[in-house]
Amino acid sequence: MQIQWLLPWIAALLLTNSSPSAALPWADGETPPGPYVDNEQLFMLLRLHTPDQIGAFYEARGFPPAAIERIRQTCFITVHIDNKSNRILWLETSNWHITQNGKPVQRLGFAYWDSVWDEIGLPQANRSTFGWTQLPDVRDLQPAEPVGGNFVLPRNKQPYTIAANFHTGKDKRLGLAQVKFDQLYCAEDPPEQ
Amino acid sequence: MNRLLLVITLLGVAVTAAAAGLPPGIMLTDGRPAPALQLENLDGEPFDLANSRGHWLFVHFWASWCGPCRREMPTIQKMMETLQDKRLEIVMVNTAETEDEVFSFLGIVAPDVIPLMDTDGLVTEAWQPRGLPATFFVDPDGYIRYLALGGREWHTPPYLDFLHRLITSP
Repeated sequence: MQIQWLLPWIAALLLTNSSPSAALPWADGETPPGPYVDNEQLFMLLRLHTPDQIGAFYEARGFPPAAIERIRQTCFITVHIDNKSNRILWLETSNWHITQNGKPVQRLGFAYWDSVWDEIGLPQANRSTFGWTQLPDVRDLQPAEPVGGNFVLPRNKQPYTIAANFHTGKDKRLGLAQVKFDQLYCAEDPPEQ
Repeated sequence: MNRLLLVITLLGVAVTAAAAGLPPGIMLTDGRPAPALQLENLDGEPFDLANSRGHWLFVHFWASWCGPCRREMPTIQKMMETLQDKRLEIVMVNTAETEDEVFSFLGIVAPDVIPLMDTDGLVTEAWQPRGLPATFFVDPDGYIRYLALGGREWHTPPYLDFLHRLITSP
């Protein structure tokens, strides 16, 4: 594994949860490092990681080889969302529609990973760290509150579409914010030199 | 009718003023009791939150792999240097990292911080933070009164003023 080219990506992966005060891991005025939507209601950025990139991140956190192997087999997308509105924005990944060639695809979520970790006997500390690096299933994002974390899909060579719907308002009755990302390909490692 | 309107207006003004008194990203909570927190610190000394009544606590959960935590930690170090007041106890909890990881990170950015070590992450989960970093403010009776959303610049005037008001409140 060539570590040098991974360093900027490892630094970028240190995003996960972010804060409005000292928020974004790229400089003001620079283009965000991935597909993004920026409107009056929210900012949403996706970054797709190669197996080497995501493997290096968890390896550096002391994850055992069996866990790294399973992680590398999947498609990690780090999601960053900022609520730019003055009302509650509901992150509910059950309201996201992920498709590939028109067919629905399920997120490899907390239950999936729990079963994988049970299978390989992942230590509790690693489970905890892994959990905190995942995008939560539900969050009532307050005005100006960000959220971040990984959203994992099956790894293959077909493009994904993610249509994310967010109810707004405390009672979810103030309308729906909708964003859509097309042509999302799982990132691949560069060929060996 | 006019009197009722006046009362409603005054109440609205009072609530708005109270909300305006909080710096950005600080939320009032429902006042639930603080969960148990019994851990050893990096030096192996035991700590039990149940023994820390009678003053406010700043309970902070973090990990060195988390970008906002890394940016926030120096501001906590500066806040501790500025605020030194026994009426506010700073309780730093590292989530599920090893002593080596914690020591090598804090030695550079916040040498005065001696964190509690939640080595398996289960105490952090019991507190149910909205993510990392997370800061809870526990009142002198052991109830969570405020929550900080994400990382904050604790050494800046709005947050220092908030902390000062907290510890000087009756």
